[in-house]
Amino acid sequence: MSDDPTPEHSRFAPDFLTEMFRNPLDPGYAAAARRRDRSGTPPGRAVPARTARTLVLVLAGFLLAVAYQQTVAAQPERARVRAGLVADVTSRQAETDALRQRAEQLRDAVARQRDAALAGTGLDTTRLSNLEVAGGLVTVTGDGAVVRLGDAPAPADPVTGKASGANLGQVLDQDLQDVANELWHQGAEAVSINGERLTATSTIRTAGSTILVNFRPLRSPYEVTAIGPPDLDRRFSLSSTGRRFSSYALRYGMQVSVRHASGLSLAAAAEPQLHYAQPFPTGSPSPSSGRPVGPSVGPGASGATPTPSGGR
Amino acid sequence: MFAVLALAVGVALGVVFEPSVPLALQPYLPIAVIAALDAVFGGIRAKLDRIFDDKQFVISFVSNVLVAALIVYLGDQLGVGSQLSTGVVVVLGVRIFGNVAAIRRHLFRA
Repeated sequence: MSDDPTPEHSRFAPDFLTEMFRNPLDPGYAAAARRRDRSGTPPGRAVPARTARTLVLVLAGFLLAVAYQQTVAAQPERARVRAGLVADVTSRQAETDALRQRAEQLRDAVARQRDAALAGTGLDTTRLSNLEVAGGLVTVTGDGAVVRLGDAPAPADPVTGKASGANLGQVLDQDLQDVANELWHQGAEAVSINGERLTATSTIRTAGSTILVNFRPLRSPYEVTAIGPPDLDRRFSLSSTGRRFSSYALRYGMQVSVRHASGLSLAAAAEPQLHYAQPFPTGSPSPSSGRPVGPSVGPGASGATPTPSGGR
Repeated sequence: MFAVLALAVGVALGVVFEPSVPLALQPYLPIAVIAALDAVFGGIRAKLDRIFDDKQFVISFVSNVLVAALIVYLGDQLGVGSQLSTGVVVVLGVRIFGNVAAIRRHLFRA
């Protein structure tokens, strides 16, 4: 590389990048050398200059070591934060599960007390318990069918072995909705997906790539369990939805299985939190008409004037 | 030889003392290191070109580190911090590569 000085005015002139690649040295060194040549002084051997150079070199080494240690220290920090968050999530999930279990126990206790209280009044309690079953408020048992859907294995790139392209055999929220609807249609009386009981206020939706049922994230494989007529599995398989899913299995590799199951037990759904819906004042003495509304409505209170929600 | 020794002493000091970097300065540390490396390689090349100058080296080191940190700081204030750090790293990286290539030519004549 030539060391002839570039004229000041043309340093950035034709192509700054080319110039930068070609001559990366500070022009300062060359300028200092020229100055020395002109004045005739020998290259700096002064003690203060040498001390400064040594200090700077020590500082550079120090910086290197510090930066290296900093980077190394930051790595486990990140992993620790992540592990902490994961532990947080799991503990909160366990907490939620425990609370749900407790709520269920309390609900059972309330139901028992109510039955005991109603037993003396001579009112018809079978309608109430039927409505509870239909509303998903109690655990139910019976025979029925289990429809199991699993994501197809992600298509792998033959060269890199990594996942490539869209996985058409992935189970979508739409698929679970279709299966649940078909099961209801074929006479199912209680349906739950991976233990999440479906009720009138249930949702099946997607957030990102995760399917949420009743706002709880589920993971593949999804088991849609339904209690219904004894030939529910056959009826589902023969329905248009069932045939569609077997074609998904053939064409996209989605894992689909339908089987009969006896002795199924579907856990109760969480108590619906109704804020806006009020029972219509029918005047019927039936205790069940006010059941889902909450504390203000008991068997005797269904005649109370409900306030329409327009004021909110 | 003396310079290598000084550098090694610096590394040893850093390892022994394990100073904790203040949180506010942490984003600037990697950039400062790259700038320091650039100054060091520039110095080595100048040495091999027989035009090394102590004053020039000290000034280039200090100003490199300060200017690099300042650019990143400005970028942070303007909301383009990461882009500007990338720019600084690219420019300094190019300079380091060029200087190392020159050093290589000096040492191996190739």
